Amino acid sequence: MNSTALSALEIARRVRAGELSASQVLEEHLAQITAVDGISGQLDPPALTPLEEQKVHAFIQVTADLARLQAEQVEAKLTHGEDPGPLAGVPVSIKDIFCVQGTTTTAGSRILYNFRPPYTATTVARLEQAGALILGKTNLDEFTYGSSSESSAFQPHPNNPWNTQHVTGGSSGGSAAAVAAHETPLSLGTDTGGSIRQPSAFCGVVGLKPTYGRTSRYGLIAFGSSLDCPGPLARTVSDAALMLQVLAGNDPKDSTSAIQPVPDYLAALAEGVRGLRIGISPDYDHIAYPDTKTGEMGIQAIQPEMNQAVREVAQVLASLGAEIVENVPMPNARHGIPTYFVISRVEAASNLHRFDGVKYGYRTQKPVQDLTELYRVTRAEGFGLQPKLRILMGMYVSAAAHSAHYYQKALRVRSLIRADFERAFDSSGPYRLDALLTPTTPTTAFRRKEVLGDSVLMQYSDQMTVGANHAGIPAISIPAGLDPQGLPIGVQFFGNDFREDLILRVAYAYEQATLQAEWRQVIPQALRAAEVK
Amino acid sequence: MMTKYEIVVGLETHIQLNTETKIFCSCKADSWGAEPNTNICPVCSGLPGVLPVLNAEAVHKGALLASAMHAEINPISYFDRKNYFYPDLPKGYQITQFDEPIGKGGYLDVHMPDGSTRRVNIHKLHLEEDAGKTIIEAGQRLVDFNRCGVPLVEMVTEPDLHSGEEAAQYLTELRQLLRWIGVSEADMERGHLRCDANVSIREAGSTMLNTKTEIKNMNSIESIRQAITLEAQRQIEAVEAGQRVESYTLDWDADTGTLRKMRSKETEADYRYFREPDLLPVVLSAEEITRIQTTLPELPYARKMRFIEEYQLSAYDADILTSERSLSDYYEETVRLSGAAPKTISNWMMNDLTRLMNDLDKSAAELRLRPADLAKIIGLVENSKISPATGKALLKKVEESGRKPSEIVTAEGLSLIGDEDALRSQIEAVLSESPSEVASYKSGKESLLGWFVGQVMRRTGGKADPKRTRELLLEMLKQ
Amino acid sequence: MLPEKITREMFDKLVSLAALELDEEESEYLRTELNHQLAAVKELSEIPIDEDIAPSLHGIDCQGNPPRPDEWQPFPDPDAILALAPETRGRYFVVPEIAQLSQEGK
Repeated sequence: MNSTALSALEIARRVRAGELSASQVLEEHLAQITAVDGISGQLDPPALTPLEEQKVHAFIQVTADLARLQAEQVEAKLTHGEDPGPLAGVPVSIKDIFCVQGTTTTAGSRILYNFRPPYTATTVARLEQAGALILGKTNLDEFTYGSSSESSAFQPHPNNPWNTQHVTGGSSGGSAAAVAAHETPLSLGTDTGGSIRQPSAFCGVVGLKPTYGRTSRYGLIAFGSSLDCPGPLARTVSDAALMLQVLAGNDPKDSTSAIQPVPDYLAALAEGVRGLRIGISPDYDHIAYPDTKTGEMGIQAIQPEMNQAVREVAQVLASLGAEIVENVPMPNARHGIPTYFVISRVEAASNLHRFDGVKYGYRTQKPVQDLTELYRVTRAEGFGLQPKLRILMGMYVSAAAHSAHYYQKALRVRSLIRADFERAFDSSGPYRLDALLTPTTPTTAFRRKEVLGDSVLMQYSDQMTVGANHAGIPAISIPAGLDPQGLPIGVQFFGNDFREDLILRVAYAYEQATLQAEWRQVIPQALRAAEVK
Repeated sequence: MMTKYEIVVGLETHIQLNTETKIFCSCKADSWGAEPNTNICPVCSGLPGVLPVLNAEAVHKGALLASAMHAEINPISYFDRKNYFYPDLPKGYQITQFDEPIGKGGYLDVHMPDGSTRRVNIHKLHLEEDAGKTIIEAGQRLVDFNRCGVPLVEMVTEPDLHSGEEAAQYLTELRQLLRWIGVSEADMERGHLRCDANVSIREAGSTMLNTKTEIKNMNSIESIRQAITLEAQRQIEAVEAGQRVESYTLDWDADTGTLRKMRSKETEADYRYFREPDLLPVVLSAEEITRIQTTLPELPYARKMRFIEEYQLSAYDADILTSERSLSDYYEETVRLSGAAPKTISNWMMNDLTRLMNDLDKSAAELRLRPADLAKIIGLVENSKISPATGKALLKKVEESGRKPSEIVTAEGLSLIGDEDALRSQIEAVLSESPSEVASYKSGKESLLGWFVGQVMRRTGGKADPKRTRELLLEMLKQ
Repeated sequence: MLPEKITREMFDKLVSLAALELDEEESEYLRTELNHQLAAVKELSEIPIDEDIAPSLHGIDCQGNPPRPDEWQPFPDPDAILALAPETRGRYFVVPEIAQLSQEGK
């Protein structure tokens, strides 16, 4: 059986047991990439043939040489009777927002097109130490700004393996696509407003945003410093747990890194849901959406399959012994996006200040009169529209004249959003939830170019996920079916601070109870084309 | 003319803390003389993806300084980002403390030469990171990040100073304090202590604050005194001539002793301050704050006053002996261990010990010759065991060899000959060898006594106790 | 009273402060999107909040690392950092000279 059909857990087990060589695993996955991915995202792509249009294009850079070296190291360790690590021989792809020494790290932007960092992100280093094979850097929205991965300066952007005319979601779109298309069983992404969970939902894979501080941000090119969380994408819940186990833990290089001890996520997985209280909220069955002319907030229905999926998941969990708690109020969920527009932009604008053509990356070739012109032209040429938009918005709402009105207010609304979750999870409160179940996204994957020009509409794809970023709590998205178009539907579980173990457990119970569901047997379009299973 | 107007001066100082490492990364804090861009890492050179990690010692020294300035230490303070573009600022923002800094309020009492005291109140005291350095060469600006991230304390005074002299005195005492409590080397030539001045004038007796100018690039205390004096004069002349004082930033040129307009200060940049999300609040527990406050050493001025009272020293002597902490501690320890008068010890230290320290370019703390050794040497001289000249020479011998004074005295036979019989025989020998001088003395040339003493000293290689020799000579010459 | 919309003039000033420059098409597109986003955040100002609700800098109560010990740990390869620069001279980063700026702070 081709190793691209195996889970990460199974690959690691077989490699560690000597049943499968790391090199063979590597070559099989590289062959899969060749079969399904097409050309990598690049700055000046050629015109695409109709065949290429149907490829996945998950990667900006495939790092075969690096991976081969790592495979050799795994094999050498096994030969010497040394422990090769819990992820021995498991191919992993890395969202190209993480600095990895020996690769370029572009952040999907021209302004870092040639940046080769002399250091490696802590999360990636931990994967390497665990014996993983780093197969490549996946494509993303430029600087992680977006929910479709279309805005990358490196084109073609990733396509949804379930229907290549549709987007992967974003910003960890390349990561989600690579996993869905069996190019790597695991991928490392980041989630700032939903950037792991939303593309996971769109691509029918498992995506986990850990508690803020659970995984180190060292080496992650920052978007929203108080919101960013590195996390795993995988095809199964147990694979996500395995990867989280390797990533999680304190890092002295990150001052916001949590000191809480890391539990054994795999051990807790199969404990079942009997007696667990799982909430459902009426505030998550629709979205609140503004009229962009007047600012008037209105209610908008979400795709009916989403609420249907939530009901079905709840039914399954109830049949397994969980207690479903209906009507949990989350009144401040509706403020999630406006708050996010302000907080994330203020941090992003500041985080982008350092890109100026002086120290690294792109510098304009045009002759410039003085320093100011160097900055302006370099940044104008180096940044795409999405970074420019974030910078301008961020600067506006943090200007001295406006800061109290926008930024300071948003930080306090964030406290309200947090308070909703605290009340929901409070063990002596009215709801005493172990998890809160919601749809992950308002719709399934939209078509390419359908939303890209409308920055407000694009941001609202994150309305259901963003609450976890504001509150800092963990959340997981898992596949829960396919819509009538055959596009994946995702549901989400929110959990209490540092209770990744609980939401993994709930997700696992649902997953295991529905292994034989028909929709799980459907093969994504991109894989059917390549005839691999 | 001057008495019609009052000069109003506020000073903004940046103090480089003498920690081992930078404030947010583990590069060296002091890279003076290093090749450019050798003392850098991804954090201080603004590479993407890296994060600041706070240096505990920078917090401790900042709190210590706040305490020494009589400021209230904030148990919880915050770092903020100050956003702007400049080539010596690699992140495009400086991490500083904006509205909740480590210290609140505070003052320094400045002791003017005329005996008056000026209390200078502190408006702001906070921690921040330093920027890099740029030089201009052939129309290009060259940037060196070695200094990026060095820990600074910024201290801004209220406009409580009223002349260049007062400003100079403030900085002199501040510099002394910084070295005294050990938070900074405060060497202005090396940029450990930097100062900008805000200068305005007003009619004497008024409490209004008028338009001020800012003076930068003053690299010594003398420059500060000169520049402020010059600028105040310029403003007075302008106002007398019916002109308005305009808000400008001025650059001091030490070579020509002149001020040059740099730019107008009309538009204040908007730095869009917000809390630094990559750092946690700086927390100092009540125990830590108490410990800092109670372990604060006796400060220079208080010690000076105490020396004057307790040791009956002159103001001049007390001033010198409290100019530097290790010298001052050395003095007190010597007094404690020695039976000699504090004034005697003060003389030894201000003359001979200081000369030794200067010759070897060592501070009192760096000497191998410890207070116990000095006390011993002084005791040997006071008790006529050795001559004063021997005593002075012993300082260097102990310093070089590291051996105890008594050891050296014994080994080199440096003891004064105080034994009466030995002295008498030496004197007899001299007198019998110099009959004509004896005759001259006896016929009235009493000044020859000194010559005889000298001869005895020569015969004994300087080891005769001069006092006893003189007494015995007088007695024996009578015969 | 805060402006409801960003005018072309305000927008151009913002672009300049951000050390950017935009062509006509980009300017109009971005200004339109900015104003849409401002409309979307308008509701923030209308949310009633009690006096005692404090701002949350991080959603969770961050129990992170204490400040680090003051120990020198040199970065092993400063030359690698210098090598990233688009333009250097000797061991310096090179930038063009600064024109007389009317506003910028130090």
